[in-house]
Amino acid sequence: MTVIPFDFRPGTLVESAGVSIRILMPKTRLSLRARTAAVPAISRALGVAVPEKIGQRASGEGANAETEILCLGPDEWVLLTDVEQVGTITAAMDAIYKEHPHSLVDVSDREITVEIFGDKATDLLTLGWPRNPLSVPIGEARRTVFDGASVVIWHDSETSWRLNGWRSFMPHLLGLLVTGCRELSAE
Amino acid sequence: MLLITCPYCQETLPEAEFTYAGEAHIARPADPSSYSDEAWRDFLFVRSNVKGAHFERWRHFHGCGRFFNAVRDTVTDRFLTVYKAGEPKPDLAKLLEDAE
Amino acid sequence: MSQYRVQGKGRVSHGKPVSFSFDGKTVTGLGGDTVASALLAQGTHLMGRSFKYHRPRGVVTAGSEEPNALIGTSRGPGRFEPNTRATMAEIWPGLTATSQNRWPSLEFDIGAVNDRMHKLFPAGFYYKTFMWPKSFWDKVYEPVIRSAAGLGVSPSVEDPDHYASRYLHTDVLIVGGGPAGLAAARSAAEAGAKVTLVDENTEAGGSLLSEPGVEINGQPAWSWLESELASLTALGVTVMTRTTAIGYYHQNMVGLCQRVTDHLAAPQDDQPRERLWRVRAEHVVLAQGALEKPLVFDGNDRPGIVLAGSALTYLNRYGVRVGNAAVVVTSHDSAWFTAFDLAAVGTTINAIVDTREAVREDLLAQAAALGIEVLTGHTVTGTSGRLRVNSIRVNPITGSTVGQGRDIACDCVLMSGGWTPTLHLFSHTKSKLAWDAEGKTFLPAETLEDCQIAGAGRGLWGIEAALVDGAEMGAKAASALGKAAASATYSVASDRTGTGEAQKELPTDKDLTSTRAFVDFQNDVTAKDLRLAVREGMRSIEHVKRYTTNGMATDQGKMSNINGLNIAADALGKPAPEVGLTTFRPPYTPTTFGALCGYHKGAHFDVTRKTPIDPWAEENGAVFEPVAQWRRARYFPNTGEDMDTAVMRECIATRASVGMFDASTLGKIEVVGPDAVEFMNRMYTNPWTKLAPGKCRYGLLLGEDGFIRDDGVIGRLSDDRFHVTTTTGGAARVMDMMEDYLQTEWPDLNVWLTSTTEQWATIALNGPNARKLLEPFVEGLDLSAEAFPHMSNAICTVAGFPARLFRVSFTGELGFEINVPARHGQALWEKLWDAGQQYDICAYGTETMHVLRAEKGYIIVGQDTDGTVTPHDAGISWAIGKKKPDFVGKRSLERPDIVAPGRKQLVGLLTQDGSKLEEGAQIVLDPNQPIPMKMVGHVTSSYESDAVGKPIAFAVIEGGFDKIGETVHIPMPDRTIAATITGTVFYDPAGDRLKM
Repeated sequence: MTVIPFDFRPGTLVESAGVSIRILMPKTRLSLRARTAAVPAISRALGVAVPEKIGQRASGEGANAETEILCLGPDEWVLLTDVEQVGTITAAMDAIYKEHPHSLVDVSDREITVEIFGDKATDLLTLGWPRNPLSVPIGEARRTVFDGASVVIWHDSETSWRLNGWRSFMPHLLGLLVTGCRELSAE
Repeated sequence: MLLITCPYCQETLPEAEFTYAGEAHIARPADPSSYSDEAWRDFLFVRSNVKGAHFERWRHFHGCGRFFNAVRDTVTDRFLTVYKAGEPKPDLAKLLEDAE
Repeated sequence: MSQYRVQGKGRVSHGKPVSFSFDGKTVTGLGGDTVASALLAQGTHLMGRSFKYHRPRGVVTAGSEEPNALIGTSRGPGRFEPNTRATMAEIWPGLTATSQNRWPSLEFDIGAVNDRMHKLFPAGFYYKTFMWPKSFWDKVYEPVIRSAAGLGVSPSVEDPDHYASRYLHTDVLIVGGGPAGLAAARSAAEAGAKVTLVDENTEAGGSLLSEPGVEINGQPAWSWLESELASLTALGVTVMTRTTAIGYYHQNMVGLCQRVTDHLAAPQDDQPRERLWRVRAEHVVLAQGALEKPLVFDGNDRPGIVLAGSALTYLNRYGVRVGNAAVVVTSHDSAWFTAFDLAAVGTTINAIVDTREAVREDLLAQAAALGIEVLTGHTVTGTSGRLRVNSIRVNPITGSTVGQGRDIACDCVLMSGGWTPTLHLFSHTKSKLAWDAEGKTFLPAETLEDCQIAGAGRGLWGIEAALVDGAEMGAKAASALGKAAASATYSVASDRTGTGEAQKELPTDKDLTSTRAFVDFQNDVTAKDLRLAVREGMRSIEHVKRYTTNGMATDQGKMSNINGLNIAADALGKPAPEVGLTTFRPPYTPTTFGALCGYHKGAHFDVTRKTPIDPWAEENGAVFEPVAQWRRARYFPNTGEDMDTAVMRECIATRASVGMFDASTLGKIEVVGPDAVEFMNRMYTNPWTKLAPGKCRYGLLLGEDGFIRDDGVIGRLSDDRFHVTTTTGGAARVMDMMEDYLQTEWPDLNVWLTSTTEQWATIALNGPNARKLLEPFVEGLDLSAEAFPHMSNAICTVAGFPARLFRVSFTGELGFEINVPARHGQALWEKLWDAGQQYDICAYGTETMHVLRAEKGYIIVGQDTDGTVTPHDAGISWAIGKKKPDFVGKRSLERPDIVAPGRKQLVGLLTQDGSKLEEGAQIVLDPNQPIPMKMVGHVTSSYESDAVGKPIAFAVIEGGFDKIGETVHIPMPDRTIAATITGTVFYDPAGDRLKM
């Protein structure tokens, strides 16, 4: 079984005819928790329409274009953004804290994200993902389970997915995915 | 492996995303110190262990993270309904009638 | 070409010989053969020895239900598989196959002496005989029985193959690729459903593969099959062959085992040997057909006695005649067709014996036309032949009288006791069966699953009936999915339909106590054994099954269940439906552990979580240990050091100067919100209101039952923000428990929890030189004892990395825990390591951490506590906020059993002879009391200690706090050790070293 080097250096991890895996550059990742009532205020503060349906994503515009927000639960979101934006975001959120209490925690280093792409990318996910991949519409994402570990899986296009999981689980998960790539190539 | 509907996500998903969390509708008393030893024992340990429709809690652990309630038939493993935490206990007679 | 191979017949490749070895001899078969068909083609029926009596056995079926022809197959070291059914094992050049359960050879087997002594081994023999003396069980009986009885030999080398698994979601899953399954697939696919069709055979077609003479919609069966499969593929149907549905679970979860490489001469390296599919289907159609039953008569198990339907398969699918001179024995029309087909290719049919009085005119006419002798209203009362049947004894039945017997010579007997619908999968989900009195068998009745049964599986017979029913069931499945469906029509010519009569044991003129009429061939269970079980008091069919082992072999009673039931019911004097069937359990056919394990072996056996500093530890020779799912460095041995030496060195170095420890696995939870302090007050025993930002406190978490669940140091970062740490193993559990209270008990609180365990890499520096080492790296913080005392926290920069710095200690020395974002963990570790060289820094692991904390009397939750320990029992009542009105577990601390005297309490132990105790050892007060002794507690932690100068231990002992200074005894296998009860703090009780 494959042993994955543990430095998570961004770049291609495995390339094969049907599917490839690439470790993505780290982004700033903020965990946001708040009550639904605070959503309009938070949307204004962030300049992004915060989605309220679990699994839906939204992106900012203009200077905010790099900011992406995903609704993970009824009171939980994850914000992906550039490190330069963090100060602005934190300040804007601090400003509404008194009126709209919430929790904003930097978890940038908690997770590693890989991109899985190619014609057999969806097949590869069936190695460890109990739910039906096609039940996640393109442009959405879900927190779910992959081979026993909590992950968030993003459906970006018909042939491209992102998977992010907690750092310590990634050697195991990537080992499984690399094995799967070889297996799919041998089909 | 069962399929379970999460009332928050409004999706029916594999059991692997969920964890079981015991019998439902056993609320922690507001003032435990007012409870007699017997009443406190019952709160801690005494459970209905029914054969049939069972009110129980699940957590969408690898998902939205929410605890919710469900009624499951412990004989057939069928879910009769699921509902959000804090919502009133559904009428069992009506549920059983609907399931017929 | 052997005389048994029929030139041009069957689906094998006549121009493509394939050689393999069987018991060391080269056998040449044809492409498409199984081991069984290739052996039959050279006239070999003898393929195995039976389980208990070592009786010579031949192949009896042509499918996965085969009970007799079990062989070992091999493709090299570690790639040996015992108990493979020769009827399913495809041949390939180089295959090595061996027979089993015989010595020295299949033809001459010493173990066959068991058969001569069969009267000594009735049902229940083992239960009656091997009872006493007790000591014989382990040493004599079990090893002897295990080596004498049994099936193939387990491989002794690790399996080098890899195994795969997948999830699959489909609208309609169809199990069985015979006519019913194919028709179901067409209906469902034409309606627009996504259809997956699986079949355990090498190709789809089912009964069509054995019935080439049938015409479907004007086309010969095989050309129809070819075009139908192409057309289904075009419709988007996924057809998976060599794929067995092994289990059916609730809500249409079906497990499939796909054999990927077993039939290949040269598999690719990256191909898995087998793949387990976990299928979730909206709708399931079971089209598994029916299995033929043997007839139960004396000597019905000799090699050469084959099920008639299987003989038809060998002929029509493999082009193999099972013999030159056959007698057909049947109670069902279907066997007559086997006789006719075999007669047409040169096998002499010496007789067709039918137990029924009256048989269809057309069958009689055809037999007459072929010159076959027909004996209706006859029974079979015996056979002869040692390694191969050579004659059969048949007798007329008049009313209930068995007439004079007559021997008919033959080299094979083709038997049919009718057909049993295959309902194993249907029954896995506790679906209900109903007794069909006419067919004397069970048929599917009710199910809670979204499932249909089509064709012979629900008692329908004939290819047209199967096609029509399959089409209808496929359409039903599609309609249930909301798709408009129509079922195609089929016209079938030359369909060989038929009926039969179910039999119990055939009537005989012999003494029933001397007959050997086998019901379960694989487990050597006879009709006599079943009757004996009933006579000896077994009333439930489940008891009869276990007493006789009927249906308990690897074939799961596929051939024997209904015969066994009918015979047991007869003996019980009850109707069969009242006796009922035993429970069918997965898997449908034997399944390798490899397939069930999938990827989870070796390094991937379980998730192994690794810290950001793990690569450094590995490079520096750490010995690891698993802690929950993590692997943690246990100690860092220098060359030649064992664990004790390394740990002692690490302890000394840390207390003398400075040690460094990877604490990244500690659970971390960020508690944020205006109600954070209120939440902390309710969750933890300690008071939090007065803890100032920048300060830390030891936190103790109880369950509602009052027992210790977790602990850890908690820092208040600001008014509204806490950095909570948990034990390594408790992290997920604590988070779950907190979320539970927050979501369901206190949803009004404005506070949120975020797991930050993996956000931070945590490095602990401990020892008198810790500050000196750290100070130069820290910016924006005065580290002096006055400015940053024990139990402080601050946000600062360490070596240029943003950090949360805690001044805490789990060793009793001056200590710091530096949290930096995980990606910088190893870089910081290396900087501190380099700078630490001037202080002779030492990297230490979990073992040294355990020793250092024990010397200080710090407990480890889960080691010194076990889920029944209260704060008082553990001697840490000081951590309870006495003035708080409530917290989780508070009420339970007043429970009668928790305030009662005599509870086990955590104390220290020092042995009187200076020896080290075993963790887990039991403790007694009086070592001279009779056995069983009263155990008053056990050792929870035990270590050699340099700082104390002798070994130290913790123990939980009944009433321990009142026994300080007293002597207790620890009985060990070789001696009893005396120890003195002490307090738990062995080192620096005043805590001066913490305050440096």
